[in-house]
Amino acid sequence: MLAFELIVQGLIQGSIYALIAVGLTLVYGLLRILHIAHAALFTLGGYFGVLVTNATGSFGLAIVVAMVAVGGLGMLVYRFCYEPILARPPHVALIASIGLFIALEEVFRLVFGPYGISYTAPPLTATVVVASMNLKQAEIMVMAGVIVLIGGLAVLTRRTRVGIAWRATVTDPAMAQSFGVDVIKVRYLNFFIGSALAAAAGVMVALLNNLVEPTMGSVPSYKALAIIVLGGLGDVRGTLIAALALGVVESFGTIYLGTILDRDAIAFVFLIVVLMIRPQGLFGKT
Amino acid sequence: MTALLEVRDVAVSFGGVRALDGVTFALQVGELLGLIGPNGAGKTTALRAITGTVRPDRGTVTLEGLELTRLPVHRRVRAGLGMSQQLVRPFRAMTAIENVMLAAGTAKTHAPFGALLKRDRGPEREKALAHLETVGIAEAAESAPDSLPLGTLKRLEMARALALEPKVLLLDEPLAGLNHVEARRLADTIVELNRGGVSIVLIEHNLGEVMRVCSRLVVLDNGRVLGDGAPEAVMADPAVRTAYLGAGAGVEAGHA
Amino acid sequence: MEYEITLMTLAGIAVIAALGLNLITGFCGQISLGHAAFYGAGAYGAAMLTTNGVSFWLALPAGALVAGALGLVVGLASLRVRHDFLAITTMGVGFLFIGVVRQQDALGGEMGIYAIPDPGLGRLGYMVLVVVLAGLVAAFSLYLKRSWMGFAFDAIADDEDTALMVGIDVARYKLAAFAMGTAIAGVAGVLYAHEIKYIGPDSFGFPESIAMLAMVAVGGIGSVGGVAFAAVVMTVLPHWLQVVAEYKLLLYGALLFAVMRFSPGGLAGLVRSWRTRAGGFRIAATGKVEP
Repeated sequence: MLAFELIVQGLIQGSIYALIAVGLTLVYGLLRILHIAHAALFTLGGYFGVLVTNATGSFGLAIVVAMVAVGGLGMLVYRFCYEPILARPPHVALIASIGLFIALEEVFRLVFGPYGISYTAPPLTATVVVASMNLKQAEIMVMAGVIVLIGGLAVLTRRTRVGIAWRATVTDPAMAQSFGVDVIKVRYLNFFIGSALAAAAGVMVALLNNLVEPTMGSVPSYKALAIIVLGGLGDVRGTLIAALALGVVESFGTIYLGTILDRDAIAFVFLIVVLMIRPQGLFGKT
Repeated sequence: MTALLEVRDVAVSFGGVRALDGVTFALQVGELLGLIGPNGAGKTTALRAITGTVRPDRGTVTLEGLELTRLPVHRRVRAGLGMSQQLVRPFRAMTAIENVMLAAGTAKTHAPFGALLKRDRGPEREKALAHLETVGIAEAAESAPDSLPLGTLKRLEMARALALEPKVLLLDEPLAGLNHVEARRLADTIVELNRGGVSIVLIEHNLGEVMRVCSRLVVLDNGRVLGDGAPEAVMADPAVRTAYLGAGAGVEAGHA
Repeated sequence: MEYEITLMTLAGIAVIAALGLNLITGFCGQISLGHAAFYGAGAYGAAMLTTNGVSFWLALPAGALVAGALGLVVGLASLRVRHDFLAITTMGVGFLFIGVVRQQDALGGEMGIYAIPDPGLGRLGYMVLVVVLAGLVAAFSLYLKRSWMGFAFDAIADDEDTALMVGIDVARYKLAAFAMGTAIAGVAGVLYAHEIKYIGPDSFGFPESIAMLAMVAVGGIGSVGGVAFAAVVMTVLPHWLQVVAEYKLLLYGALLFAVMRFSPGGLAGLVRSWRTRAGGFRIAATGKVEP
């Protein structure tokens, strides 16, 4: 029974990783940039979630506001931070992104205070018994939310014109352009959706922990990076599976390896072990 | 007599698509071999299988009897392959002559900590200058690659390959993108190099120049060898003619 | 005077650590986001020895060895894969290092290691040792840059695939850069541990790695003088200006971003372009090569 519970807890954690990592892998797939600052947008999403809920009392509204506002900010990040330096060597964008991430974290600290904020009336705290397991409503909400969002993303990219153009651009930008796809618009869309998903993840983490703090993005940022490597950089499906796998590995690892490694180090060991065996990632082709 | 470079039954596929399907040919010492074929025939893939940037599913590549098939790219280069790529890729932060000097210094860059103990770049500079003269761009020696026209960069790419003092020089469309006069001059340079003792495999779409300079042709089509022999004889072969005519008019203008 | 000596010592340590990172990032073009972990490995390795009675002079090379060996392992694991991965695995090493150290009672756990013995050189003597070592590392960097190893590093930083085409064993060179850079970070770590006399997991976290990267990026990736200068300024300023100390991370982050966005060559790049502009006329007048 313990094993089953660990798997469920792992999947909940993993689905949050998935929401963060998808945006990261989409940016990498399109622009070959490791978008570290993505994690700051995740944190900002958490703040929006708590602040809007506390102000209006509506958790649903908070999610929408967080996703739209952070999605818009994501587009601005592309426009003003990445676009001007795309032609430079890749490390330039990478270092710029790290700088942006650190600076944003500090801005959060200055604006929202160093100790973090919580929901005044935490929503969805009731406990439900599912298959003889005690789950918080919030946990069920997170799982359902992730399924809806990722499902929506799948429908968008497979069934709609804009989604197909998007996928074509990720596969081969030059070819997509010759078919009349506006590559620049695709990039904005990419940043909007990726950032909005990260914001949703931020709101959910805020819900699960009932806390947002300035540095809550540091560890997820690194784990999301590990996940997109495991998933085979730029591969959305691989990223999703790797995220869930990492969640499960962590929840088992914390129980069985907790004395030698803390939770956050397990992701790295998992990454290294996988890369030793499969340098191209879990699902990458040689 | 064993061949200098031997490609035997090499097959390569990319995600289910067969790019090479059992290609066999050989290069003899002193030859200037033209490797031709319509677009997508597998010429560049064949060259990449020789240098090691793609891994074949089966087949072997040997250089002077040494099997290269399992060696990484840099080991093959050290074994005696010099490659001039289709898309020029100079080191952009170095001057033209430094690009060539680095290639001339393979003996010094063999092992990292050995390289740490060596500083003198004088002999390599002299050699590099000589190679730049050979390809006719000595005046661009101190220029940054970004300031040089494509024709010069193509020659730089060739000088860098030459500086490796390779047993076999592999040239992937050195004439592509050059105008008629430039192409003819560079083709003449290639012939001179060959007369000077360098064995060469030349991939080229410019059939006029290929027929003029090559001593033997290998024709690829759909990943297979369609013809192998003296230029006139090969081009007279009906199968070769069909492959080219069937592939449309992409013979002269077909560079990517 | 006491205060200036401490500042100078800390600045010298920062120069050593930053030049070690510069060897990896600046010379060989590989981004490391976990340099503080190797710095920490040197510090912990040496502190474990000296607190158990081993001489400082033995602990110094031992710390370098521990850090370099860790660097070699990380390098072996990550250099097999695509070049972007090193940034990620090194970032992971940072988290792993702290994660492991926290859990080990032998390493002092959360409490860290304190009462690290004094090397017995006196304040001034220790500062001189640090400055001399910083000078040696700088001299080594300058020498390396002009050696054939530096030449090959230039090629790798420029274009890895093409470097293979001129016969350079890219993976081995990267590994060499990584091992040397992390061993140098280890030396800095040993010096830090025996200056402050206390080390804990938080002394070597992600912010420290970022601070080192900021020194390299702001000084000018690959420029020995620029990096050393930036390391000194960025160590000393927070001590002189309270504002800088308070908003240190904000400043580092903003600097990293601004430098990459507007002047990727860093300070060294600015100086270079200013010099070229000043000397532009002369070059234009005489720069024509005889036909």
